[in-house]
Amino acid sequence: MITVVSAPPFATIQDLGRFGFRDSGVPVSGLADRDSGLALNAMLGNDPNAAMIEWAVAGGALRLERDATIAFGGADAICSLNGTSLQARTVYRVPRSSELHVERIMRGRFLLIAVAGGIDVPLVLGSRSTLLSARIGGVEGRRLRTGDSIATGASASGIDGDSLVAAGSRIAGPIHVSRGPQSDLFDDLGWSKFLGTEFTVSNASDRVGYRLDGLALSHKGDVAMPSEPTCIGAIQVPNGGTPIVIMNDGPTVGGYPKIAVICKSEISRFAQLAPGEKLSFELTR
Amino acid sequence: MQEIPTIARLGDDALIVRFATTISWEIGSRVRAAAARIRAMQIESITDVVPAYTTLAVYFDSARVAFEAVATTIAPIVNSGEAALAESSTIIEIPVRYDGPDLDEVAERTGLAVPDVIARHSSRTYRAYMSGFAPGFAYLGDLDPLLVVARRSVPRVHVPAGSVAIAAAQTAVYPLETPGGWHLIGSTTLRMFDVDRNPPALIRAGDMVRFIPVDP
Repeated sequence: MITVVSAPPFATIQDLGRFGFRDSGVPVSGLADRDSGLALNAMLGNDPNAAMIEWAVAGGALRLERDATIAFGGADAICSLNGTSLQARTVYRVPRSSELHVERIMRGRFLLIAVAGGIDVPLVLGSRSTLLSARIGGVEGRRLRTGDSIATGASASGIDGDSLVAAGSRIAGPIHVSRGPQSDLFDDLGWSKFLGTEFTVSNASDRVGYRLDGLALSHKGDVAMPSEPTCIGAIQVPNGGTPIVIMNDGPTVGGYPKIAVICKSEISRFAQLAPGEKLSFELTR
Repeated sequence: MQEIPTIARLGDDALIVRFATTISWEIGSRVRAAAARIRAMQIESITDVVPAYTTLAVYFDSARVAFEAVATTIAPIVNSGEAALAESSTIIEIPVRYDGPDLDEVAERTGLAVPDVIARHSSRTYRAYMSGFAPGFAYLGDLDPLLVVARRSVPRVHVPAGSVAIAAAQTAVYPLETPGGWHLIGSTTLRMFDVDRNPPALIRAGDMVRFIPVDP
């Protein structure tokens, strides 16, 4: 059992996502920084799909009501346990009644806090992920609040204590993309602008989508296209507008041309870009 | 002469099949038939099959299967040109109180009397072209041409769940409280999206729908 002593402005429960219901308009949801989540679950001996806390924006505190094994990763944050500072991507066995304090997030967007055994909230349509728009998953389909009690699952045995340290996956450089279904609507000039621009992640960005400031991309031809299925990482270009990247809680269909799609291996790094951070794209296929 | 469907990548974990570029019943029917056949194959590495107006997407786990393999597997199905085997002939009836805040404005803009708007909206059987926008939201068509009005210039921030709405040639029910730019002409107490139901969406692509006026 974990008690939320002081909730940050935005924290939800997420696993790898909700599959099989996109034809009912249900987005996948799940951890925005999937790679960090997988690494933490592996370190803790959890199932890869075990749910954890995705924590954003600011500091706060949790109390571990029972003896627990924990690890955190994703965004760079200053965290301490009962006053002692902790390292990211490290497994800690902590005694009951310990308080984990997140002082603040230094860089990145989503701090992931995982516990051996995973967070045990009810499965909704096969997933524990929170989808705020539909108020499903996680804790009552909402953000965590101060005072919430969160159940944890039974811990698997065989965790190799503090010695496990997984490598961080932060790599610099342009975000790799493949051509999107409407890549042909953008001419050579459009493509050279897209690949030559340094974009800035807008403040108007969240788990639904990240808006990118920097350049309004124009495209040729009739763009009154019928809405069609989209995907996480799809870079949509509204008419005369700035690009929007569809994220985990984004709509399942969209009517804007998709110039490119962020490669799966790059989505986690992209998701960790906070408002104001700069990025560029590189076409790999 | 039928267009030959094209298959393209949609990122690393999906592909999109394009049957045509313009919307029609015939194309929609082919899209849904292909979606049903792909689902019936029950390929474990395929997680979702999503039909839309003129396209369908197949989502898969690229750690287990490659784009080329999925494309090769589904190519005979999408190229077969067969229409729907058996589209649902059941009509989903949705009781509606025609009490929406935009009903008078729709009447004014269409030049119709309010009872005529209600009669025209509730006298048709619609078919769901596609689901999306929000969980359980189904795009229903085609609306009576006299009821066609462009969507609101300023979308509402909060559209109540259960709102029955129209925009352009389509109608829909908002399953959840969301923002929305369609004209609200009525409301229903029916739950359009319910996670305790399988499937959770009351209306899915291909379903037929009728609106039944009930007394306010």
